[in-house]
Amino acid sequence: MNIATTKRKVAIIASHGGLDEAYPALILANAARQSGIDAFVFFTFWGLDIITTSKVDHLHVNLAGNASSGMPTVLAGLPGMESLAASMMKKQMTELDLPTVREMLQILDESGAELYACELAMKMFKRTKEDLVPEVRDVITAGDFYDLADGAQIIFT
Amino acid sequence: MGASEQDLAAVMARLEAMDARVGYLVRQQEKTAELLGEMTPILRLVMESATGKLDELDKRGYFAFGKEVLYLTERVVEGFEPDDVRKLGDAVVGILETVRAMTQPKILAIAGEASDVLERSDEAEPLGLLGMVRATRDDDVQKGMAVMMEMMRHVGRIARAVETQRKADPNAEKKAKLAAVLGPRKKKVLGVERTAPPQRAVRATREPLGPPTGCAVPSDKPREVAAVIDGVAFGADGHLADPASWSPELAARLAAAQGVPMDEARWAVVRFARADFEATKTSPNIRRLTQGTNLATRDLYALFPKAPARTVAKIAGIPKPAGCI
Repeated sequence: MNIATTKRKVAIIASHGGLDEAYPALILANAARQSGIDAFVFFTFWGLDIITTSKVDHLHVNLAGNASSGMPTVLAGLPGMESLAASMMKKQMTELDLPTVREMLQILDESGAELYACELAMKMFKRTKEDLVPEVRDVITAGDFYDLADGAQIIFT
Repeated sequence: MGASEQDLAAVMARLEAMDARVGYLVRQQEKTAELLGEMTPILRLVMESATGKLDELDKRGYFAFGKEVLYLTERVVEGFEPDDVRKLGDAVVGILETVRAMTQPKILAIAGEASDVLERSDEAEPLGLLGMVRATRDDDVQKGMAVMMEMMRHVGRIARAVETQRKADPNAEKKAKLAAVLGPRKKKVLGVERTAPPQRAVRATREPLGPPTGCAVPSDKPREVAAVIDGVAFGADGHLADPASWSPELAARLAAAQGVPMDEARWAVVRFARADFEATKTSPNIRRLTQGTNLATRDLYALFPKAPARTVAKIAGIPKPAGCI
């Protein structure tokens, strides 16, 4: 959905696939659309997990090396810790009635934000368009993305 | 008179027959008594010997074992269904072959060695990552690792074969139907097959809608007046300074200024936004608008293309919605 009357555009590059890393990108894009700003999101590298059908519902929280997690890195590396942290975060999000990542993608698509996957990353991770959620408009190169997001403010997450 | 004589004779004959029978019974009785008399010592011996034998069996644990076997059988019957047993029947040959392979002297020797090591486990020193790396220099450890790797490769290959077999199972549909009839079975599947998370229930009715959640921020504080146009005070962001100064006529003019052609669908959204603000003192964000009006996000963007929640709030004369969702 193109809005001729708006001039502002944001292009958000999501390069990480953690639950805590997915939300900032998606919320920024959603807030942009709610403020009447055009939004493009480019998913690359681990960010592809956010739009991969088999992974979108199972994103984890990366604790190791995260100083804000409050958990010593030695413990954070233990098996199951990431799942534990992810389930705790999901619980809090449910309490706040935040949409799930999958719902966020649907909301973004319905609100007219455009989601794209990085072609190079797709090849690296051996994924095809069929592996991605239907909200993804296309698989494009970084150059194509710049063309699409011409004149946009670029946010890297 | 003749008749009574005849009767008497018949009675006598019967009595004689009875006497013979009684005699026979008495003789039999005597024989039995004799037999019993003879048998008693023998029986006593047999009983003694049997008791001893049973006692011995009991001491050797046969009965306790039997009881356990019965318990085990019960557990097996509870835990398995006829279908499982049928499958087990097919697999019995394979199981026996496995057992035979596993009980080969060589394999048993390895297993014995391994269990010896476990026995002496308290002697083993704790090992760190570096210790592990150092240990890999040992020839025996290397050999053991190679064997483990080979085993893992085999297990992996078999797992993949099982997976493809499961996919190609022609009876899958029937089994699924049967499973649906029989209800859920407590059967844990090996591997990482995850089920999709339950979808959130779609709100079917418009009422009641709970209090606002998420990062919604109440917006009932008094606002600064930035401009007064035609006697109506506006804030710096273009929203009405005082929601109480709103009227449907004003809303129509505000909508026209926004370039929004008002129709019944749009009025419904505006009415909901205003009612929700009055009830909660919070301007609804787009998520709450979708929940409250049963419209999809897509529909809202179609009705109010530019920033729906804000446009609706402007027309409804309520503050700009705060929050990020």
